[in-house]
Amino acid sequence: MGHMVKQNSDKIAAEPWPENATLYQQLKGEQILLSDNAASLAVQAFLQMCNLPIKVVCRANAEYMSPSGKVPFIHVGNQVVSELGPIVQFVKAKGHSLSDGLDEVQKAEMKAYMELVNNMLLTAELYLQWCDEATVGEITHARYGSPYPWPLNHILAYQKQWEIKRKMKAIGWGKKTLDQVLEDVDQCCQALSQRLGTQPYFFNKQPTELDALVFGHLYTILTTQLTNDELSEKVKNYSNLLAFCRRIEQHYFEDRGKDRLS
Amino acid sequence: MLLGGPPRRSPRSGTSPKGPQSSTGHVHFGKSPQTWPRRTRPRSPGLAAPSGVRGSTQPKRRDFPRRAWLTALSRYGARLWMGRRPSLPEARGPAPRSAAASRASRSLASPETSPSPLPATTRGAVAGGGSVQGRAGAQKEVFPGQGAGKMAAPMELFCWSGGWGLPSVDLDSLAVLTYARFTGAPLKVHKISNPWRSPSGTLPALRTSHGEVISVPHKIITHLRKEKYNADYDLSARQGADTLAFMSLLEEKLLPVVHTHVHTFWIDTKNYVEVTRKWYAEAMPFPLNFFLPGRMQRQYMERLQLLSGEHRPEDEEELEKELYREARECLTLLSQRLGTQKFFFGDAPASLDAFVFSYLALLLQAKLPNGKLQAHLRGLHNLCAYCTHILSLYFPWDGAEVPPPRHTPAGPETEEEPYGRRNQILSVLAGLAAMVGYALLSGIVSIQRATPARAPSTRALGMAEEDEEE
Repeated sequence: MGHMVKQNSDKIAAEPWPENATLYQQLKGEQILLSDNAASLAVQAFLQMCNLPIKVVCRANAEYMSPSGKVPFIHVGNQVVSELGPIVQFVKAKGHSLSDGLDEVQKAEMKAYMELVNNMLLTAELYLQWCDEATVGEITHARYGSPYPWPLNHILAYQKQWEIKRKMKAIGWGKKTLDQVLEDVDQCCQALSQRLGTQPYFFNKQPTELDALVFGHLYTILTTQLTNDELSEKVKNYSNLLAFCRRIEQHYFEDRGKDRLS
Repeated sequence: MLLGGPPRRSPRSGTSPKGPQSSTGHVHFGKSPQTWPRRTRPRSPGLAAPSGVRGSTQPKRRDFPRRAWLTALSRYGARLWMGRRPSLPEARGPAPRSAAASRASRSLASPETSPSPLPATTRGAVAGGGSVQGRAGAQKEVFPGQGAGKMAAPMELFCWSGGWGLPSVDLDSLAVLTYARFTGAPLKVHKISNPWRSPSGTLPALRTSHGEVISVPHKIITHLRKEKYNADYDLSARQGADTLAFMSLLEEKLLPVVHTHVHTFWIDTKNYVEVTRKWYAEAMPFPLNFFLPGRMQRQYMERLQLLSGEHRPEDEEELEKELYREARECLTLLSQRLGTQKFFFGDAPASLDAFVFSYLALLLQAKLPNGKLQAHLRGLHNLCAYCTHILSLYFPWDGAEVPPPRHTPAGPETEEEPYGRRNQILSVLAGLAAMVGYALLSGIVSIQRATPARAPSTRALGMAEEDEEE
């Protein structure tokens, strides 16, 4: 759930998509974390699928610039919208939609699967980043605080970690071990794999926001170097998911002449 | 150990033996046929007839995709997928009985080798490490000299007591109870309102036949599946994936609102005093009614704040509006997914139905001030029909024994009248007795008897001054 600037949808629809729309995220090389990267990639994929141009801008304080505190957010015209859900609605108000061709039952399933990804994959990523001591020590703390001088880098990192841990406890993940979390990831991937089957996209011929979201998370998991490879191994077990990621990458990112995604 | 053959991924090689064995779903122990003849004979009559048990032909047709999903899910602990699933609600009656009969016949047939047949018959595909545990577990629960170990100690479920026309007013308890009813699991249900009385300190809690206590609802359902009470037996792989997705949707969209309703339930003081506190105060014994409701309230509030605090809403109202909007959308989505079917996956209930039912029933029946969500839900006729259908089919007596919600405020009052009066009188008498006793003992009042012989002894009672004298 994010924060959408309150506007009349008429006003939104009146302006066409500008050429200088920008997407803000944290610094790609040193700062951005797995979960934020996945979210950002999902939004980029979605916009690519809608054929809307977007420029990616990296800022160290992107998290604080965002109206809801979450990245990524897009700046279109004079509006700022963050997170995939509200962005999808915003884009729909402008007249572009990927899920119009779906019937009611399919729309319900699409929403449900998006929640599944958020509920399991995203939470697992957060858990791995912030609650697994090895990863926290080696990767997360260093990356999260990298743009800031000492002691701010430590303070901000600890603060964020405490906040995430509280959230984990509230949803019942506080007591989970890493193995249980990895099993949850496996279960989620299996569900996605079974839903995808042999189709090219989740709802057969055309990609939808669900495809964008799944691609964002899976691709990031597959290509991010962590302390161990267990997370990506879980995804690699499912060949149709790998093919799915490859297909979207080729079709929407390489073919358009963009640089390979890091 | 007992059955030789590798219990592991041999299912994939498709060597599931035929006959009654396939009715157990995924028994693929290569060497097990040698033990089969002993068991099949008593078993088949029991299993052939009932509609509740899936016939031997069915699993073969749908073995492959289901097996894949099931073996994968089995990695998480839901290992034993051999379960029989009640086919139709109308068959619910015969189904549990037939299952019990088949189990009993199985157990009776082989008391002498009790450890060995039970794992083969009662435990289906056990993948990986689950196999050892499954068999060890099976061994544990079978005691020589008794029938099936499971029969020795029935499983006990502790859950919140009912109200508002529902068998239980707690979300998790209701879901677990509904699942148990769907599958006909023989549970001894203890409806209590004091969570400290439950073996794990929280509700719901399941005490298994080995005395182990499980208190996480998902784990309770997993355990019931292990014990062959599996409502998801016939789901295809894709339906299993759909189950996961919809459960996530429920948790994400509806759960905060159920908690928010609890939030308005607890926080709205007028409502709190009139409805909630009264209900809890009546239901809970002294001294719990003083601090337990407060503790639960704080827990819910904290969770709500944590989950929504990230949004930094301008005001509470905005947040609430958004929560309700998402909840209404979720309800609409559920309605669209359900369509005109009887249950989410066809004609027989699955675990998803148990959870959806518990959410919907609570939202429908609870007497809460904020009527918007209820009104929206009432407008989705297929969901309302779904709820009443399940209630009438699976909880016919529970639903009937509690008066309809409209009368609930009046009900407890009239019920408690006689007790209230009696308690009042008793407490007044106790107070009087205490005062009189203290007065006598401390000599403020001394009793003068008419007989002078007694006078000195009674005067001796007084420590301080003596007041009147006759």
